[in-house]
Amino acid sequence: MRNKRMFLFEVARGFAAILLALAVAVIFIALCTDDVGGALEQMLLRPLFAKNGTFNANSLWVVLSRMIPTIFTGLAVCVMFSANQFNLAAEGGVMLGGFLATLVGIYVPMAAGLHLVVCLLIGAVAAALTMLLPALLKVKLGASEMVSSLMLNYIIMYVVLHFLNNNFADRSKGSTQTFPFLETAAVPDLVPNTDLTWGFVIALVFVALVAVFLFRTRWGYAIRMIGINQAFSKYSGMKVGSVIVLSQVIGGFLAGLGGGIEVLGRYSTFLWRELPGYGWTGVTIAILAKNNPLMVPFAAFFMAYLERGCELMRTNAGVPAEMLDIIQAVIFLFFAAEQFLARYRQKLVVKGAREEMKQAFDSEAAAKGGNA
Amino acid sequence: MPQSEYVVQMKGITKVYPNGIAANQGVDFNVRRGEIHALMGENGAGKSTLMKMLFGLEQPTEGEIIVNGETVNLSSPTVAIAKGIGMVHQHFMLVPSLTVAENMVLGMAPKKKGLFIDMDKAIAITEEYSKKYNLHVDPKAKVVDIPVGMKQKVEILKALVRGAKILILDEPTAVLTTQETAELFRELIHLKEQGFTIIFISHKLNEIKQITDRLTIMRGGKSMGVYNTAEISMEEISRLMVGRDVILTVEKDKAAPTDEVLRVENLEYTNDWNKKMLDRVSFSVRKGEILGVAGVEGNGQRELVDMLFNLNVPDSGTVTVNGKSIVGLPQRKIRDAGVSLIPEDRMLYGIADRGTIEDNLISNRIYQKEYNKGLLFDMKAIHEMSDRLIEDYRVLCKSRNQQVKMLSGGNIQKVVVAREFSSGPVLIIADQPTRGIDVGATEFIRKKLVELSRAGAAVLLVSADLNEVMELSDSLIVMNGGHIAAYFEDTSALTDEEMGEYMLGLKRQSDEEIGKVLYAK
Repeated sequence: MRNKRMFLFEVARGFAAILLALAVAVIFIALCTDDVGGALEQMLLRPLFAKNGTFNANSLWVVLSRMIPTIFTGLAVCVMFSANQFNLAAEGGVMLGGFLATLVGIYVPMAAGLHLVVCLLIGAVAAALTMLLPALLKVKLGASEMVSSLMLNYIIMYVVLHFLNNNFADRSKGSTQTFPFLETAAVPDLVPNTDLTWGFVIALVFVALVAVFLFRTRWGYAIRMIGINQAFSKYSGMKVGSVIVLSQVIGGFLAGLGGGIEVLGRYSTFLWRELPGYGWTGVTIAILAKNNPLMVPFAAFFMAYLERGCELMRTNAGVPAEMLDIIQAVIFLFFAAEQFLARYRQKLVVKGAREEMKQAFDSEAAAKGGNA
Repeated sequence: MPQSEYVVQMKGITKVYPNGIAANQGVDFNVRRGEIHALMGENGAGKSTLMKMLFGLEQPTEGEIIVNGETVNLSSPTVAIAKGIGMVHQHFMLVPSLTVAENMVLGMAPKKKGLFIDMDKAIAITEEYSKKYNLHVDPKAKVVDIPVGMKQKVEILKALVRGAKILILDEPTAVLTTQETAELFRELIHLKEQGFTIIFISHKLNEIKQITDRLTIMRGGKSMGVYNTAEISMEEISRLMVGRDVILTVEKDKAAPTDEVLRVENLEYTNDWNKKMLDRVSFSVRKGEILGVAGVEGNGQRELVDMLFNLNVPDSGTVTVNGKSIVGLPQRKIRDAGVSLIPEDRMLYGIADRGTIEDNLISNRIYQKEYNKGLLFDMKAIHEMSDRLIEDYRVLCKSRNQQVKMLSGGNIQKVVVAREFSSGPVLIIADQPTRGIDVGATEFIRKKLVELSRAGAAVLLVSADLNEVMELSDSLIVMNGGHIAAYFEDTSALTDEEMGEYMLGLKRQSDEEIGKVLYAK
């Protein structure tokens, strides 16, 4: 009963954080426009509903397609955070995975079906191997994975840009991008003529896979236990160092896969000239999902919806796009703040403990009565 | 107002912690002006709690504190300091990266132009106090660079700068070398001559005899009386400190030990502070017996257990289990060799607090075939195992999915014990297995230990609880200062007094007698 109560409390806490964030957003919106109501309508309703109130399917496809890379980065961060590893290189992983998948898609022709799989795998494996850097630095030398992974993002970005500019750029184009990849490497559309590809389905499959991995395998178990208590895990006989490395390699794999699917699904060439930002969103999503892979799609939907809403607000109500960052930041603050509504939670805990003690007392009394 | 004879009076102090533990029960404690007064007792006797209340870190549930004849409400250390009370903690409260002078004036720094810290003045203050009280420190040295003895002086000076007239020293010699201890004693006597009152927490008998005027002994949260140091013998003190109150008896058959399981030879370890924690420790434990390790805490027991589970590495020596060396092996290999450990620090090593009960029951067997189906966990087998252990070990909980941190201390320990006892161990190391848990759980765990040993396991029982170690052990070693001070092959004729003398280092057996605990091959 107490667990249920705590669960409801956590859900309520989540909504309270979102509401408060929106309330703060309203203040900022009011600074940018006179028509606050109109702007809010754009942000909160327009992503799914047309002006006359009817359901807008096309807009839904846009929102869902936005979830594809962020589900992957959200899962990647979930796995790493579960092991208490604050690795932030999902961002770089996405870029590297996307870039290498594209290169294989351009230069290594293969049979349809096989080609896409090979492209994605190479991107994902490369990103996974890159994560060995912060992971091994952490395990062998005790360097903070947060710092090294953060810097790794920029190393990856500049290495990718170097090769893009000097070796693989299509000079016939006005902006820096690669040649188009072969048709056989493209992720097919799920809904024809939209951005919603089969990548969405693959993403959901990976949600299930990661959930099974974390909750139903010995490695996932070790990752979670190490995240809770490293000393306990070592004493119990787990290989703490290896598992820490494993968690980050898996995180890299997921991020790289997400990057490949995004580029090969949404575009026809590789054209990112800066970090795409999905890794950061992944951190927000993992925190919203409380490191539970099964909650990642919901958190990703929320973030995609919000992003779409802010975009519409910018186009149609003249509110700057930076608003999204402000709202994200505020949600982040309220969620991450352990003490938010902590006093109320404490009351719940105390109440639960009292009930439990009373129950134990009653059952004991009953047992004694029975004996007598 | 006539000055009272007592500078501090604590009357009828009772302290109940939120978790229900009564750490002090109706304690009276009086200190005369200008004396060095020892507060003695074993770990967990309630000394620290009593002193925390005098320093305002904790508030008494009942009772009255009178300082200089005035009833006071010591709601925080700030209030206590204002009343002239200073405390030197066992673990120094200094900022390592700052200089001695900076530490000295922390929170009360002299200011230049109201904004900047006046470093020259801070140094001057430090030098002035240092000279006045004959406590030599280097004001410009960084705390991280100075030796432990000097750190302690800085702590004492810190209290003096803040106007302390009554100094509480919490086991001040625990971290000091013999020379540093002698120096500290000279300084303390100097302070006493200048009219300061000193409360000295310790369980080292010879030190107490050396410098204190009077002493108060505590045991089990109660005061065992106050004595003039000159008029009480060491034996008497030891009896008062470690004597047993309630005796929980456990029925057990006579042990019939067979083959040697654990063999420890010449284990040596010197810690990072250059203190020898293990000195030529050798013993063996056989199948079917419980070997107890008694001793006041901090005499090498923790280090010994760490070495047996590779949580620390000995400087030299060997440890074998069934003839196979386990030094330096990863914990999984040690467990594969059949070793189980009930760790002393339950919350650090024993459990993953945010995990479920089930998570905490399977941690030492996740790689076993029994609980896996190919790549995946066999959830059915795991659930069955969890439910069975919860029932067998009578863990009071709602379900196996309850978070383990929501359980009471006794039930948390039952989870640890269930996991460690059910893995079919050939050797069980039980380090303080019943510390701080309720009587029911204590009795249950003790019975299980006896049961397992009679079923053929070798048991090494490390416990600072004299009652426990004497009741459960078939034979027993006593540790003092990293040595094995005594070995008793048969515990039945042993008296508390005798044990106390060995535990507190008043007596020591000959090497030949002690050597018997290492069975000839």
